[in-house]
Amino acid sequence: MVCAERDFTLTKRTLMSVASLHATAIRQLTPALLSSTATTDAPPVTVGERSKQRYYQTNPVERRFEEVGFPGLTPAEKKTYTHSRLILPVANRQVSLSNKTDREYWKQVTKEGLPCRRLKNNYSWGTDKHGRDVGTYRFEELKKRSLSQAKLTALTVLHRQFLLKREAARSKGAELPQEDIDQEKKRRQEMAALKRELYGEIPGPLGNDPEWDDVIPIPQEEPQDALARIAYTDDYAEAVSYLRAVMASEEYSPRCLRLTEHVIAMNPGHYTVWLYRFKIVSALKLSITDEIQWLNDVALNHLKNYQIWHHRQLLLDHHFANTLSSDAEAAKQFAKSETDFISKILAKDTKNYHVWSYRQYLITKLNYWSPFELATTQSMIEDDLRNNSAWSHRFFIVFSDPSHSTKGSAATEYDPKVPGAILDREIAYAEEKIKLAPQNQSSWLYLRGVLAKGGRGLDTVGDFASQFFSNLGAEDEEVTSSHALDLMSEVYHKQGEIEKAKLCLVELSEKWDPVREGYWKYRLSELK
Amino acid sequence: MAASVEQQQQQQVGPAPPSTQQGASIPSLFMFPPMIRDALETDSSNIQDETVDEILPFLTGKEHSQLNAHGIPRLDKQRHVRFLKKQLGALPSMFVGADPSRPWIFYWCLNALSLLGEDLEPYRARLIETVRPMQNKTGGFGGGFGQSSHLATTYATILSLALVGGDEAFEAVDRRGMWKWLCQLKQQDGGFQMAVGGEEDVRGAYCAAVVISLLNLPLELSSDSPACAAGHTSLLSGLAEWVRLCQTYEGGVSATHGIEAHGAYAFCALGCLSIIDSPHRSIRRYMDVPRLISWLSSRQYAPEGGFSGRTNKLVDGCYSHWVGGCWPLIEAGLSGPEGPTAGPAGRPMEDTEADDSLFSRNGLIRYILCCCQDMSRRGGMRDKPSKYSDAYHTCYVLSGLSSAQNKWRLVASRADEALLGGDVWEVLPHTKGEQIFDEDDRIGTLHPVYAIPQHSVDAIRSYFSSKEGF
Repeated sequence: MVCAERDFTLTKRTLMSVASLHATAIRQLTPALLSSTATTDAPPVTVGERSKQRYYQTNPVERRFEEVGFPGLTPAEKKTYTHSRLILPVANRQVSLSNKTDREYWKQVTKEGLPCRRLKNNYSWGTDKHGRDVGTYRFEELKKRSLSQAKLTALTVLHRQFLLKREAARSKGAELPQEDIDQEKKRRQEMAALKRELYGEIPGPLGNDPEWDDVIPIPQEEPQDALARIAYTDDYAEAVSYLRAVMASEEYSPRCLRLTEHVIAMNPGHYTVWLYRFKIVSALKLSITDEIQWLNDVALNHLKNYQIWHHRQLLLDHHFANTLSSDAEAAKQFAKSETDFISKILAKDTKNYHVWSYRQYLITKLNYWSPFELATTQSMIEDDLRNNSAWSHRFFIVFSDPSHSTKGSAATEYDPKVPGAILDREIAYAEEKIKLAPQNQSSWLYLRGVLAKGGRGLDTVGDFASQFFSNLGAEDEEVTSSHALDLMSEVYHKQGEIEKAKLCLVELSEKWDPVREGYWKYRLSELK
Repeated sequence: MAASVEQQQQQQVGPAPPSTQQGASIPSLFMFPPMIRDALETDSSNIQDETVDEILPFLTGKEHSQLNAHGIPRLDKQRHVRFLKKQLGALPSMFVGADPSRPWIFYWCLNALSLLGEDLEPYRARLIETVRPMQNKTGGFGGGFGQSSHLATTYATILSLALVGGDEAFEAVDRRGMWKWLCQLKQQDGGFQMAVGGEEDVRGAYCAAVVISLLNLPLELSSDSPACAAGHTSLLSGLAEWVRLCQTYEGGVSATHGIEAHGAYAFCALGCLSIIDSPHRSIRRYMDVPRLISWLSSRQYAPEGGFSGRTNKLVDGCYSHWVGGCWPLIEAGLSGPEGPTAGPAGRPMEDTEADDSLFSRNGLIRYILCCCQDMSRRGGMRDKPSKYSDAYHTCYVLSGLSSAQNKWRLVASRADEALLGGDVWEVLPHTKGEQIFDEDDRIGTLHPVYAIPQHSVDAIRSYFSSKEGF
């Protein structure tokens, strides 16, 4: 402590007024202290108790002061109390003393052995990751914590050295050897573990990876009371923060590709990351077959996800534009491997809408109207006659094949380009399946669809449909297909047999399909 | 199989007459498997039979402690409200799958709460602040902060903002950005992609039409729209033609051209067409209506009473809306504008008149109230009894319940085709035929095209109708 000699007078009055100011302030601000001094004589158990004892040791007469106040002190105590409080102000020249008084003052301080450094009261040790006050730690606990802190400090020093070394290397256009990077990765894991232990901070895998040091993550921006706010896991919150950052800077790089995989693994329905992934794949001109390979595993693990199938469609478009459009053999191979994989998925989930949808897109795009396609669909129908998705696919391959259909023809309208032989074949197919399960609506709808495409009237299947009911309106009425009655009401209507047509609808409404009573009555009202 | 209906049922259930819990009267239609069943078993028929087995104890009252005289339990509004409010609160990390679709949660919950008569005012400020970071500078809303704009999440966000209402909510939308972004999504074939680089399907057509008409966006295409290359000049040009090609040979509507007919896409197609022009013009012009009605009607099964989404697929509560919501549009398409109802209080009660609906309202109501309510502490509505309730099903099951309980009519057609969504609709309680639910369980109503309350549609439309350009 350096004390400059200054020419000022220290009067007793000055000292007294400073002291009483302190006393008033302390009484006003810390009334609780006055009643909590009795316990401090026992040996300290916790860090906080030790701090309190040291406080009293370095603040003479403080405890007496707290007990009796300034007026209650003996004159000697008052002198000690005041002198000890003035050490810092005098040393810092906040109180100006004359040279003589100054000398006198320091003589007194030395004589009384007053501590020059006084500890502050209520020293804050901070809290640990559980929110516990470190002041309540026992000594061995604090020792352990201090050791961890020291380790973290040491690691931080090495970590900074790494950053400097890397910067120096990069300024020369070089990269650090892999060994250094591996060491740094290990170091960051240790640092992360220590930070977690000491402060509860959870730096995720990206924050720990030197590869991502240059990216400043953009965290979620949302009010605290946002509606339907989701408590993200730390890994997800970190990953999407980095995702926002690299998307904002339009970075398309291998590390971003890995990041998308990381996010997709946690949330495959995240459409944004899929759209971004496709941009990366196309920007980096990555192998489409590799990407499809990767996608296959994802698809098998997430059967109901539809982003996967749109991504696949984008890959197909990209692949077609770059390669397949000019290489018929490659296109055929690709179509074959794709339909093989699709069949694998459909075996697990026979009516998956998005998979069927992709299949149709693929066939159109690659012009893959093969007999093989018809055959696989046929076997799926045979596995389950009621698989309406398979029937829909059959309708698609038969009536959208450009070699014998009109482009842009609506599904319910007549297409003169469809050959009669194909119509005959499809009608026979539907009829054969209807016979196996007459109440299966899929095959009836297919039959009607084929007739509409072929411009053939429903009456052409009137005889066929009539076999599924008998003795209509009689006591022993028998019906094995409500769809046959439905169809025949239209046939009878067209043939002018209104009463018969009505009877079909009445029987449907009252007996065979009464939940649709309203509809059948509407149909009745439409009969003229 | 020469047996009368009664005899057949005897064969199926044995000689003892069916007895229900608490002596309620339940039509046999909803108590027994269907009349006609094929002997041939396949995966589809097995799972269908299992579903009927699962559902029958709920339909016949065995799973319920209290039923009314028709064998129907009450709608436990309080329980479902509690469930919905919880869904809007803090969600645990297992909801991470919903991270890309949070705006949907807002819409599903707010819409369902509104149907149950809850005040949405307390959610206004929170919703606005929650969706703000989800809006992208390039236009549109993503599923969350930093996510690409998507038509589904944009649609859900706009509807949610309309639900809470108020100038501040409407002002949160960047209309110019929205218009520019929609121009990017418009494709050469007339349809819309869901996101830039995303899939093109009939959801896109519907969501875009809703957003354009609610925000009163200019229809003119920006010069950098990919659709310009095909000669399109308007956001809506070629859209109805594109939607038309989504109708399949079955009569239903598929996601895009040439796939399988699916209930959710039917609603999107009809909704889109009803915005482009009045339904009696557009639906008739662009759809094969007889086939469509036949297919929609086939979606309702007995004994379930509820709708399925595809041919030979299982009943699911959500189709109460997707298929159930098609009926008001179909009816308007068939009848055209009917003019206003007599008297200030609307039509007189029509208890004596027979129900002339195209579908079984009571079958649907029965399925919803008996099978779709989760009566455990959890609450909420579900697909079927073996499934967990969620916000999606709670919204769409309740929407379906509303459309079964109430009757929408097209009062007047728009004067000019260009007045998108400018038709006048009117809703009244459906009172024809037998009412099987307690009057207290009649819930709120939703605009048949926009699927939010009519006053919410009116408020947002009138706010933006004064805007020309941006």
